[in-house]
Amino acid sequence: MASVCLKDIVKVYGSDIAVRGINLDIPDRSFAVFVGPSGCGKSTTLRMIAGLENISHGELQVDGEVVNDLPSRDRGVAMVFQSYALYPHMTVRQNLEFSLKLEKLDHSEIERRIDEAVTVLELHPFLDRKPSQLSGGQRQRVAMGRAIVREPRVFLFDEPLSNLDAKLRNQMRVEIKRLQRRLQVTTIYVTHDQIEAMTLADFIVVMRGGNIEQTGTPIDIFEAPANLFVAGFIGSPRMNLLAGTAVEIDGQLCFSNDDFTVPLPSERFADVLSAGQEITVGFRPEDIVPEQHGIEPTRSVSVTGAVEFSEMLGNETLLFFNINQTEIISRMHQPRIVESGETLNFLFNVDRIHVFDTQSGNSVLSDQVTVG
Amino acid sequence: MSNTMDGIDFAAIVDKERASKQRNWLALTAAVIISAVWVVPFYYLAISIFKTTEEYSLNHPLSLPSGLAPVVENAVTAWTHAKMGAGLWNSALYGFLGAGIAVFIAALAAYGLSRIDFKRKNLWFMLIFSGTIFPLQMYLIPLFFFYQKVGILNTHFGMVLFYSAICIPFPVLVLRNYMNGIPRDMDEAARMDGASEFTIFRRIVLPNCWGPITATFLLQFTWIWNDLLFSTVLANRAEVRSIMNALQVFQGSYSSTGPNVVLTAAVIASAPSIMMFMLLRKHFMEGMRVSGS
Repeated sequence: MASVCLKDIVKVYGSDIAVRGINLDIPDRSFAVFVGPSGCGKSTTLRMIAGLENISHGELQVDGEVVNDLPSRDRGVAMVFQSYALYPHMTVRQNLEFSLKLEKLDHSEIERRIDEAVTVLELHPFLDRKPSQLSGGQRQRVAMGRAIVREPRVFLFDEPLSNLDAKLRNQMRVEIKRLQRRLQVTTIYVTHDQIEAMTLADFIVVMRGGNIEQTGTPIDIFEAPANLFVAGFIGSPRMNLLAGTAVEIDGQLCFSNDDFTVPLPSERFADVLSAGQEITVGFRPEDIVPEQHGIEPTRSVSVTGAVEFSEMLGNETLLFFNINQTEIISRMHQPRIVESGETLNFLFNVDRIHVFDTQSGNSVLSDQVTVG
Repeated sequence: MSNTMDGIDFAAIVDKERASKQRNWLALTAAVIISAVWVVPFYYLAISIFKTTEEYSLNHPLSLPSGLAPVVENAVTAWTHAKMGAGLWNSALYGFLGAGIAVFIAALAAYGLSRIDFKRKNLWFMLIFSGTIFPLQMYLIPLFFFYQKVGILNTHFGMVLFYSAICIPFPVLVLRNYMNGIPRDMDEAARMDGASEFTIFRRIVLPNCWGPITATFLLQFTWIWNDLLFSTVLANRAEVRSIMNALQVFQGSYSSTGPNVVLTAAVIASAPSIMMFMLLRKHFMEGMRVSGS
């Protein structure tokens, strides 16, 4: 059990800067998820914590102790790899006991740890099998078992579910969360899958280009994205963004893009916006409700649009239409098949509008959200 | 769309599939004929060792022997004339030690070349590999004089040294490529598990390379076993000469034995390497696969 603290961590490969000075505090027993597009530096950061990459600059602390120069095995961290990285020539049991034997633990201790891990992960029937004789989900569990038996202070997961099919991925996701709750070990988890990030994390670290864009609880990140990047990255389908100008109409601050005008709730934006400012507004697909097809918002702006095409997903229908050449996606909670060309009234929920400064890309409410 | 299977004659489809396979008859016949031509020398070898010298010279070379008994006498003659016992022992020593040491060193080099980051990696690899580009005969004369000067001509040590050295480059090429295919994640996992570099080599990478290791060992063993040129030049004394070198006593104007004895000696001399192949063929075939996964 341990906290992990990153101070000004930088990673340089040749002349490429992969990680640009990250500061982060991961409290004891918490579940942190690093999320971001590929190449954002999340895996590199994890590998630096693991001790698989040198830290070019900065300080890494585990439980207050600087571990920059400690080899992996002495850091008290254990990692589950994307490819599982099981030893193919060893049985499940040998895979599990490999690290313990290297540590020269005595036989009874090795047995105790293996027995515990095997019980938690229900691996008993497979102990004498080789990895090639296991299914993807079973291999995944062995990989976790190998991390558990070491009784580490910190668990590291590097996209552990990306090799599994969708159904198994959901199942393993729940298992990982349950396991972490049970073992109460600080966990750092890297993924590019925002569903994993939203469901697993106590807090999410959104990264881009070697920087942290935002840290916060899943709900913080979702409800109050710090900038356009986070707004676009978290949420599926992505947030609808429209660029325009802040204008004042009859004393009311509004967003305007040609004929599309939305009043901006003055209790939230009066102090932070001024007329004439270039702004981008965002609506999540679920905040654009087709009239008579879901719970209608109390304060809304109605726009009539012709559906260009739709995706009926069974539990919902996604509707695609245009406002001033910008594609807008609306989520219909009471699904039905919608033909292309059908005209509907869409209600934009004004209370759930997100507003960003177009030039800087930051939320105009940025002092109210946590930025990394 | 309909889900019914009516109107589809599955039996007819099965028959048609089977018939299409049988059309390969022609190809099979051609293959059998070509194989038969290829087998004739082996047939000649197989029957000749069962003939006496007299029987061999009186009948057609491809005629069947009258009995199996002469093989014993042929073997005894061959064994004593050529001192085959010593030859076999020496060749086994050169083969096992030479190929074994070479493959082990090659595995270490391959691990370094595929796993450890250092400058001019490719240059080092090309340097090692350049050993296989030049014709081997080129080394013969300098080596002879060098061995003479250092005093390891006609010694077991000299032979093992030479064979080990000459057999390194090819396994380096094979093993490096194979090890490149073994996921790096595995070493990293082992490193996190607390393994040292040598433990990773010995307990993680090496056990996953048995296929190509056996294959290259077998190839190098066979090469050493069959080598005549170097063993003739560098170790010509009876106590250190290899089996192939020993067989040379049957050559030349003073040789008094018939082809039946020579062929029997040849069969005895090649038996060990054939047996090795039989023994290790499963690993050998595995090693022939290119990827490391």
